Formats: sequence, C-alpha cells, structure tokens
Amino acid sequence: MESNAGTKETRSNLTASDGGEVTAFESLQFTDEIHRLILAPTTDNSSSFTALLELPPPQAVELLHSPDSPKLIAASPPNVEDFQGSFRFPSNSGLIERDARFSLFSGEANNSNEKRNSPESKNVSANPEKNVKSEPAETESSQPLVSDPTVEKRSIKRKDRENKVKGSTKKSKTVANENSEDAEKLPYVHVRARRGQATDSHSLAERARREKINARMKLLQELVPGCNKISGTALVLDEIINHVQSLQRQVEFLSMRLAAVNPRIDFNLDSVFTSESGSLMDSNFPSLVMPAIWPEVQGNGHRQQYQHQWHLDTLQQPVWGREEVCNNYITPENSLLTYDSSANSATLQANHLKMEL
Amino acid sequence: MCPHTSLKQQFLKKWIMGLQRCSFSKKNMSILERKKTIKLSADIAMASARNGTTRWSRALISNASKDGSDNRLVQQILGPDSNTPAATTTNKAGTRRASVCKKIVKRSHQIRRRRRKCVAAAPVKAVTSSISEHLVRKRRQVLKTLIPGGEFMDEICLIEETLDYITSLRVQVDVMRSVASACFSQS
Repeated sequence: MESNAGTKETRSNLTASDGGEVTAFESLQFTDEIHRLILAPTTDNSSSFTALLELPPPQAVELLHSPDSPKLIAASPPNVEDFQGSFRFPSNSGLIERDARFSLFSGEANNSNEKRNSPESKNVSANPEKNVKSEPAETESSQPLVSDPTVEKRSIKRKDRENKVKGSTKKSKTVANENSEDAEKLPYVHVRARRGQATDSHSLAERARREKINARMKLLQELVPGCNKISGTALVLDEIINHVQSLQRQVEFLSMRLAAVNPRIDFNLDSVFTSESGSLMDSNFPSLVMPAIWPEVQGNGHRQQYQHQWHLDTLQQPVWGREEVCNNYITPENSLLTYDSSANSATLQANHLKMEL
Repeated sequence: MCPHTSLKQQFLKKWIMGLQRCSFSKKNMSILERKKTIKLSADIAMASARNGTTRWSRALISNASKDGSDNRLVQQILGPDSNTPAATTTNKAGTRRASVCKKIVKRSHQIRRRRRKCVAAAPVKAVTSSISEHLVRKRRQVLKTLIPGGEFMDEICLIEETLDYITSLRVQVDVMRSVASACFSQS
C-alpha cells in the first residue's frame, strides 16, 4: 500500500539516521478499538475520563522531568509537539500527512517508542504544519490536550523501563497533528515488534493489549497514593482495592454525619450560584457552603444578623419569608419552606439545636 | 484539587438540588433513612455529573432505579434531565441481558478451570506465573465487585472505570467533608 510504503520509507530514513537497528513492523486491524478510541467523548476537561488522565500526568511529569513539560501540558489544546530527538525529520509534509491519515499506531509500544523523546526535547514549535508524523494515541482523537500528557506520561514511564530492557529500539518520529487524523477511521494499526519477539498477529495483539493494560495500571498507580513504590500487579491491585473501599467508607461515614447534623438543610441555590459561580475556588469553598446553609442576601453584611436570628428563633416563618422576598428562591424551596414552617414544633426545633451543638 | 473545582461545583449543585427535591417530603425520617437518602442523592449526583459518559455512572443510576423504593427518589433527583432516563432504560435492558450473559460466562469459567486442572504438571516457571495470574485474577474479581457495574467489563475497561471512579469518589468525599465541616463549625 502506498501509504505503508511511504511510512516505511520515512521510518527507514529515521533508522538510518538514528543508527538503530531495523525492526520489522506489521499492521494489525483493531477496528473496534480504534472506533472506541476515536469516538471518545468530547466533553470539557474536567468532566470526561480522558481529561482525568490530565491529573496524574502533570504531577508525574513534574516529578520525573523538567518543569518544561507541565507548561507544555498546560498549553492550549492545539498542542503540537515536535519530536526532534537526535535527528531532523524530513520535512515532507504531504507525505507525512498522508501517513498520519492512514496509519494508526497502537498502544503504548509505539507511543513509548515514538514519543520517548518528547519529555526531553520540549521544543515546541509554533508552526502547525508538521514535519513529523502524527501518532494518534488512544486519547488523541478529540482531546489533543489530554492525549499529549497521557502519552507523554506513559512514554516517560516506559522510557525508563525500556531503556533498561532494550538498548536500542527504533524510534520513529511522531507528532501530534490534530488536524489530520482526528476524524478519520483508520483501519490498520501499526505495531512494532521488538527484536527477538514473535511477530504473528496474535501475539502482537496480545502484546498491544498487555501494554495498554500496563499503561493504565501505571496511571492508577500514580493516582492512588503509595502505589508508586510497589512492584507487582497483585499488590498494586490490593492497594487500589483498599483505596476504593476506604473512599466508599468515607462517603458512608460523611453521609451519616450529615444526616446527624441537621435533618433539614435548606440551601439557597440561586443566590449562591448566580452571584458566586464565577469566583469559586477551593479555598473559598467552605465559605461558600456556609452562606448556602444559612441563606443570606447576596452581600455578606447581613450574615451576622441572620446568624443571630438562626440561633434565636431558627426556623420561624417570618425569617424565611423575609429572605424569600429578598432572594430568588426556586419554587420547590418555597414549598419546602412553607411545609417546614407548618410542620415545625417547638420540640423539634430544640432537638435540632441540640444536635447541632 | 484545582482541576476538579468545576466538577465539585457541579456535584454540589446537583446534590443540593437532589436533596431539596426528594428527601424532605417525609416528616420524620429516622437517621438511617436520612443517611441513606443523603448518600443516595450524593451518589446519583456524582454519577449524573458524568452525564453517562462512563459505565460506572450509568450502572450506578440503573442500579439505584431498579429497586421500587428508590426508584421514585432517583426519578425525582434526576428530574427533568432528558438524557439520563433514556440511559437508565437502555441500561436496564442491558443489565438484564448482561446478567444472563454473566451466567454463561461463569459457566465457561468453571469449565475452563476444570480443564486446567486436567493439564499435566507444568514446569516451575509456568506454575509460578500461573500463581501470580491467579492472585491477580482474584483481585480483579474483588475490584469488579467494588466498582458499580464492574462485572461486565473487561480488564482495560475495568481499569479505566476504576480511575474515573476513584477521582469521582475523591471529589465526593471532599465536597461532603467541607459541607459537614461547615455545618458543624457554625453550631
């Protein structure tokens, strides 16, 4: 196939210049995986899984490598990496775009091989026309910003490992060229077989799958605290299980605690979120929650007054009514408040106060 | 955690709305009921913050809406969301099919295990690797029970869902902790 030939051509150029050994590579078909990977959900960064992969990579990258990389990761989505490495890439953009369009490198084998130089040579050139082939990793399809740190991170991890394992492995040039291959359906997956390994399709597929799993396990290791030093899948899985269980138990405990605090927590959503939605930071988070619990007018000046009222006659109708007039309550809350006022008894109020104190 | 601020906001908003909608319709709820409601609304809020992009969120919502008692609450919490009811209905059918498939898978696992026992004694290396594989497999099973909807996922999916689930749980814990501390600090 012409594209394959073109690919091989450029690769052989690289190997010749690189001085590494020539390794064979085959193409495999991973249509299902490709579809799944390419059609990854394209939500904003904080709400999709692949964006979550952003989280450990910056930390990992910061820990392991130069501080340039996080800056790179934090760059805007059209994030193009220039994998210079130790050699220049032939600047045949047409050839490279075609390669990019028709080839997809599977899994972490190629990611690590090809993007190995990325953390070291962070010379991000601004020109979008790439001299480098693009390698759509799993996450690159629609979230280039996320995919780069992901792949980088994986490449960083694997770099250490593979440097020990294989002295000279062929690297080909890759670049994140988002324009070319994002929406394309790529029928072939090029997987590089390392020297001395079987090259039939089954073992290659198995190996690609294995490496994918290992990459994700590494991500998990970084996410779960204390897993970095553990070697061995079983122990790491143990830690992960413990962590998940402890988190679930914490949720249970906190919900019990909240149930004990106040049987009726009225939140003033509208005023809180309309006035403060733009300026929510973590440090202000508790302070945000507190005005939510004691509904107050948009300014903070009334807070003292309301707190006083809260302590004295907590749940009386006139207080709520006044606040209702001032704020924009949503209608369920109106009904809730009216219900509360009617259902309140003195003993109930006393109980609530006691529970709070 | 700065990257999760918007997620926290989203979760808090949905949780509060859910609490408002569902939990205070009864006069006297025992503390356990309240806790259950709070936890349920928190879980559903967390799952709906994912908007059906991850499997564990869909499985969580569908599991919660399976029971008769919680179904009403779930529907109330989810409210006028258009996408989630569709997701839940499709997932219900999917889980039924999946439970049938699960039996088949279990049976096939048993047959495979029996076949493995008949294999002649393997060399030591294979034995140790099989031991480690056995350990890993056991732990994978445990992880599948922990993650909602995990039994129907293969390895790759399982690890991805675990990643997402852990971050969501962390966000949930952070938000709940700050709310609880705010409640307590004022009293």
